[in-house]
Amino acid sequence: MINEEPTEDQKTKTEQEQPQEAQPSVAPDVEMKVPDEVKQATPQKPNYKLQYSLSGHTMSVSSLKFSPDGTMLVSAAADKLVKLWNAFTGEFMRTFEGHTLGISDVAWSGDSDYIASASDDKTIRIWSLETGSTAMTLNGHTSFVFCVNYNPNSNLLVSGGFDETVRVWDVARGRCLKVLPAHSDPVTAVGFNHDGTLVVSSAMDGLIRIWDAESGQCLKTLVDDDNPICSHVKWSPNSRFVLVSTQDSTIRLWNHQTSRCVKTYSGHVNRTFCIPACFTNVGSKCIVSGSEDAKIYIWDLQTREVLQILEGHRDVVLAVATHPTHNIIASAGMDKDLTIRLWRDSQPTS
Amino acid sequence: MNGSILSPFNVSHPTAIQTSLLDRASFAKFDPSGRYLATGKLDGSSSIWDLETRSAIRLLDGHVKAVTSVDWSRYSRYLLTSSRDWNVIIWDLASPFDPPQRHTTIRFDAPVVSASFHPRNSNIVLALLSTGDAFVADLRKEHRSRMELCEVYDEADESTKPRSAMTVARFDPTGKYIFIGTAAGSVLVFNSRTKSMVARHKISGAGAMRGFDFSKGGRRLVTNSSDRALRHFNLPIYPSPSSASDPLEYLDQELKPIYQFNDPINKTAWHTMSYSPEGQWLAGGAADHATHKIYIWDIVNDGQFVCTLDGGREPLIHLHWHPRKSVIASTTNQGNILIWHCPIPERWGAFAGGFEEVDENVEYHEREDEFDIEDEAETTRRKMKREEEKVDIDGFDDALMQQTTPVVAPKDDEDVAWADDEPDDDKPEWKMAIIMVEEDYL
Repeated sequence: MINEEPTEDQKTKTEQEQPQEAQPSVAPDVEMKVPDEVKQATPQKPNYKLQYSLSGHTMSVSSLKFSPDGTMLVSAAADKLVKLWNAFTGEFMRTFEGHTLGISDVAWSGDSDYIASASDDKTIRIWSLETGSTAMTLNGHTSFVFCVNYNPNSNLLVSGGFDETVRVWDVARGRCLKVLPAHSDPVTAVGFNHDGTLVVSSAMDGLIRIWDAESGQCLKTLVDDDNPICSHVKWSPNSRFVLVSTQDSTIRLWNHQTSRCVKTYSGHVNRTFCIPACFTNVGSKCIVSGSEDAKIYIWDLQTREVLQILEGHRDVVLAVATHPTHNIIASAGMDKDLTIRLWRDSQPTS
Repeated sequence: MNGSILSPFNVSHPTAIQTSLLDRASFAKFDPSGRYLATGKLDGSSSIWDLETRSAIRLLDGHVKAVTSVDWSRYSRYLLTSSRDWNVIIWDLASPFDPPQRHTTIRFDAPVVSASFHPRNSNIVLALLSTGDAFVADLRKEHRSRMELCEVYDEADESTKPRSAMTVARFDPTGKYIFIGTAAGSVLVFNSRTKSMVARHKISGAGAMRGFDFSKGGRRLVTNSSDRALRHFNLPIYPSPSSASDPLEYLDQELKPIYQFNDPINKTAWHTMSYSPEGQWLAGGAADHATHKIYIWDIVNDGQFVCTLDGGREPLIHLHWHPRKSVIASTTNQGNILIWHCPIPERWGAFAGGFEEVDENVEYHEREDEFDIEDEAETTRRKMKREEEKVDIDGFDDALMQQTTPVVAPKDDEDVAWADDEPDDDKPEWKMAIIMVEEDYL
C-alpha cells in the first residue's frame, strides 16, 4: 500500500530522531479527564477518548497489532522499521531494523515472543523479542509481501503479496511448505481461522477465497455482485463469518457457509487504500475501521449504526488495532500525520 | 472446523499415502490432539514430529537401549518412553528447549516391555516388564507406591496351575480399569485404584495375548493373539469393588468375540491393530515379511472386510489410527513412517463464486419473474430487513466443542476422584514452544 521509497533525507532524519524516542512523546490528552457525571447515560455506547500520541516513525505507518497478551503494541511503517510500544503507557520499547524496503504488515506469534513482518523487499522477517534481532528470514515471494499471519499454534505462517500467491511457511525451519496460486491480482490479506484448519485470502481481483490449510485446496470463493477491490479480510472470533473491507467504502460481514452477506457497514471513505477493519473484544461488539477522511469509525456489530467517530488524525487512517482485553484502540496512518494514537474508553464495561 | 465445508460424503477410511517421514522408527504414535507423532527407535532415542510442518521438532535422547513404547498424557504435555534399559522416562514438553527436560525417571528391575499413563493423571504409570509382571507406579506425594498386579486364583487349583506371564498391560480409556493379557490366553481386569482383580475372561483358542486396542469410549476391545486372529469384543460392565467385599471375589466369565478377523489364505499374523476415532473401522497391520499391508474392516457393517492398503516393499511393523481424522501412520521395517489419508478430490468449481457443480445435466427451468426488473428501493429494503437478524460472532457450535472434550466419567465416581487427586500440570491451554532452527544449520 505504501510504495514510495524513502529518500536519503528521511532516512537520516530517522537516525537523528532515535534518541528522542527514548523519551517517548507521551502526551496525555487533557480531554481524557472526563468527570464522572458527564458520562453518557447509555453505558453500551462506546466513548473512546484520545489518551496518548506516540511518535517515532518517519514515514506512513502501515500496520498496528496488539500482542496477544495485551502488554505491547507493534507498529510497522514505510520507513523499514518495526517499533514496539507499551500498550498501556505508550512508552517506546524497541526498534527492529533489518528490512531493506517498506513494511506492509506485522503479526504476533501466539506466545507474544515473536513478530513476523512482511516487506516490499520480498521477504518476511521473524523477530525475536528475547534477542531483539531477526530469528528467521523467509525468502520465496517474487514481489512485495503484503500480508502475513500466524496460525493458532504459531508453527505456521501464511503470507500473501504482489506475486498473487498465498504461501504457507514452516516457522521453525523457515521453509516454504505450500505455494497457492491463489488470485489473479495482489493478495491483500490472509489469515488462519481459530483452529488453523482454514485459510482465508482476499485480493485486488475482488475475490475472497477459503482454503483447506492442510491440503491447500480451494474450498470456496465469495464474491460480491459488483466485484469491488477487496482490501482486507478477517475471521470472526468463532470463524463462522469473515469481515471484508472493500474499496467501495463498505465493510461486509459474510457467512462463509451460506455464502451470504449478513451485515453491511458504511459511512466511512475507502476508495484507494487497503484499510483493515477489526472487531472490538471487550463489552458490546463493535466494528472499527480507519477511513480516508482521517477519521476512525466505530459501528455497532448488530444494528450497523455508527456509534462513534474518532477525529484527530490529519491524514488517511491506514491502520487500526483493538486491544484483546481492554477498551483500547490504536490507530495510525499516512505520512502527513506520523503519530500513532491510543484511544481509550474508560467507562466501566458491563 | 473445515469439516463443515468439506463434503461429508468423502469421509472414509484412509486410502492413499499422503507423505512419508524418514525417521529410523520402530513405531509411531499420535498424540491425543493428532498434531504430533512420537516415535521410538532401537538406539534408545525418540522423536516428536509436527504433522503440520512435517518435520521433527524434538529429539528425546535418554535411553541406552531400544525404546519399547511411548505414551502421551491427555493434553500432550508429558511424553513417556519405556525402554529395554529398565527405565521409564517422563519428558516435560513444556520446557522451551530441545531436548526437553526430563520430568521423572522410573527405574524397574527388568527391561520394560511397555508403559502407559493413567488417562486422567500422568503421575500414575502402568508398566509391564519382560519378566511378565505388571506394576502400577504412583508418583503422587500422598499415594507414592509401586504395586504389582497379581492374578487371583481359585483356591482349588492354585497349587496345580503355574502362574502365567503377563504379555499385555493397558489402561482402558476411562482409566478405571487395567486390562492385562496373559500368555495363557486370558484377559484379566483390575481396578486401577484398589489394584484388585475384578474379572478374568478366558478367550478360548486365542493363545498368548499380544496386543489390545480400545474404542474411544472403552466399551469395545480388540485383541491380538498368537493364533493369528484379531477378536472384537463388547465389554461387560464391571461391578465396582466395595471395600467390604471379599478381595478374592471376581467375575469369571468367558468372553465371546463379536467378530473375529483373520487372513484365511496367507494365515498372516498381525503386528498391531487400531480402531478409527468413532470405532467405525478397524485397521490391522499384517505381519508379512515381504509386503506392507493394512487390512480395513467395517465394524458397523457386520465386520465386513473392506480393503487392503498396499504400502509398497518395506514390510509393516506398526500402525496407529489418528485420534480424530481418517489418517493412519504405519511404520516400515526400515523405520520410515507412512502417513495415509483419504484424499479429497479437488473441486474446481470452488474457484468461482456462487458456482455449483452438478453430476448430471439438469434441465433449467426459468422462473416466471427471473429477469423482471425489480424496484431497487424494494430490494434494498428487503436486504436491510434481512441484515436486522442478529449474528453470533463468538459462540461455537456445541457439536464442534464436543469433539475436543475427552471421555467424560461421572463426577461422583470413587475411581475418578482417586485419579483426579493431586492432578498433574497437564492443562488444555499449554502450548509447545516453537524452537527456531538457527539459520546457520539450515
